[in-house]
Amino acid sequence: MSENNFKNDKTTHETFTQEEFMIMKEDLLRPVQHWGFWGKVWIAFLVVICMLGVYAYYIQETKSKYVTVSLRDYTMWGVYISNFVFFVALSLIGVLMSAVLKLTNFQWYRPLSRIAEIIAVAAIMLAGVSIVAAMGRPERLYHLVIHGRIQSPIVWDIIVILTYVTASTILLFIPLIPSLSTCKNHLTNKPKWQMKMYEIFSFGWEGSPEQWKILKKSVKILTVLVIPLGVSIHTVTAWLFATTLRAEWDSTNFGAYFVSGAFLLGVAGMIVAVFVFRKAYNLEKYLTEMHFDKLGKALVLMACIYGYFNINEYLVPAYKMSGLHANHLLDLFTGEDSHFYWLVVVFGIALPAILPLIPAMRKPLPLTILAFFVVIAGWFKRYLIVIPGLAHPYLPIQDVPDSWRHYSPSLIEMTIVAATFAAMLLIVTLFSRFFPIISVWEVAEGKLEGKDEIINYK
Amino acid sequence: MKVYKYFLIICASIILAPAITFAQDKEAKITLNFEVVDSQKVCKALVVSEALPVKELSIKFYVKRLFSLLPIGEATTDENGSASLEFPTDIPGGETGNLTVIAKITEDENYMDTETTHDIKWGVIVKEDPNLSHQRSLWGSRSDAPIYFMVASDLIILAIWGTLIYIVFQVFKMKRISSLNKK
Repeated sequence: MSENNFKNDKTTHETFTQEEFMIMKEDLLRPVQHWGFWGKVWIAFLVVICMLGVYAYYIQETKSKYVTVSLRDYTMWGVYISNFVFFVALSLIGVLMSAVLKLTNFQWYRPLSRIAEIIAVAAIMLAGVSIVAAMGRPERLYHLVIHGRIQSPIVWDIIVILTYVTASTILLFIPLIPSLSTCKNHLTNKPKWQMKMYEIFSFGWEGSPEQWKILKKSVKILTVLVIPLGVSIHTVTAWLFATTLRAEWDSTNFGAYFVSGAFLLGVAGMIVAVFVFRKAYNLEKYLTEMHFDKLGKALVLMACIYGYFNINEYLVPAYKMSGLHANHLLDLFTGEDSHFYWLVVVFGIALPAILPLIPAMRKPLPLTILAFFVVIAGWFKRYLIVIPGLAHPYLPIQDVPDSWRHYSPSLIEMTIVAATFAAMLLIVTLFSRFFPIISVWEVAEGKLEGKDEIINYK
Repeated sequence: MKVYKYFLIICASIILAPAITFAQDKEAKITLNFEVVDSQKVCKALVVSEALPVKELSIKFYVKRLFSLLPIGEATTDENGSASLEFPTDIPGGETGNLTVIAKITEDENYMDTETTHDIKWGVIVKEDPNLSHQRSLWGSRSDAPIYFMVASDLIILAIWGTLIYIVFQVFKMKRISSLNKK
């Protein structure tokens, strides 16, 4: 079989080992080669939701924001900003699942790294979209660039998001180059433009030792770079709140609290994504039960760390119950937001810290169900950070219409939020339909004994 | 019932309209004078209608501010048609101390709405504090950012973007290697 495929001069520099080639040919190119009926239905469904979101945004921008959106003088940041924080948190998945595991020499990251990176890129893009939706008028983004002050956390946020999008995209792209070459050589019955795309973006990849050397070096530099970048992007997001004068956000704990929450959300998101890809694309051979076992343990660790920061964040001020904090803390513990708050504590922190300690809970299905709840609780957690914080300012709210005191998102806002989710899933789905979602050479390299073997392979 | 009420109101308005219009038909003219009496600043509005002073007419005084008018008081004209108001001494008047004072007749039964404007340098002179306004600070404008802040952030941005650009060059280097090999 190998002789047939190594027939011309060009493919004598074929980058992959025999074993790797087999894996690829049999399994990993299949989702790219055959989209299937349900695959197309899923994409159509996501496109429809996205279009609904675009229409909702059109209504928001053409009619006054006061007609379409329930944001007011007090709660001026609503679901758009909590959605933004959620997406920024989710984008840290790339840092944890790809960079941290890679640098600490954990080998099980290998089939997960590309899934994590595409989710990171998609999430951070939609975080940017959420911010623009919250701004009300899109040209304000341009004004921020033209008139923004470097002293302002909003400007830091724009800079760091832009940098992180770029770094994550490059980190996604560089390990993709050998896979693109594979797609170019082995995919059949694909449109001309698609083949041309593989041709252009594989950058003349031949798998020569020099090329491998450059590729590995670049990936290593980026992997190191992306960790401080990821931590700073979420810390700056936390500072957007911590530098604003509200009792709930007045905390030195905020940066670490946000980053730890992001890691928990990242692991949970990863579990759900791995489960879906495993089932939908029949990748059980690569995304094994071992991965769920490891991810389940990681979930416990992250939930414990996040729980620790939550205790610092809520119970320490609650012990003192100073006037300023009592206002919103009592509202969260026993008041109108308490149902939300305790559900988030249980599903978002307590259960993921305890349940995966039981080995049976680290099996794919139960762990995925748990992780799904953690992701939903993660979204509401961000909602609870943003909205009750705004609804309890230092000066009491007086003499205003009752609707200004309480915020509940309008249909327009929820449609736009739903569309951001659909858009994120659409980016990830389309990516997995054009490129192999598992980095073949990284998996194969892990199976080989040493690096030299693959670098010098011809 | 509602329709009936509206009908009545409209009829009444039509009947009363000439009366109201006629009643407010009189024109009055306000002249503003500024005097200092016993070191007290007094603003006097003299109201004349048809060459006669107008008695017992309420005059409202304002000072023009950036977005709207600041009410400073109200006075009623005496038998000479003069309404006096003790002028506040603490109104900021910018770098020149100039204030634009406005006297108004509004919603009077007999006289039409009218107003007069007059400039007077009775404002407190406000000098910009150079220490505050052009100090490099975290709260300063875009151009007044602290030097250390700009240098630190520029260095971080340059270091990270420099690395990213270096890596993009590496990708092109891979392509160059491939074309060299082909040759």
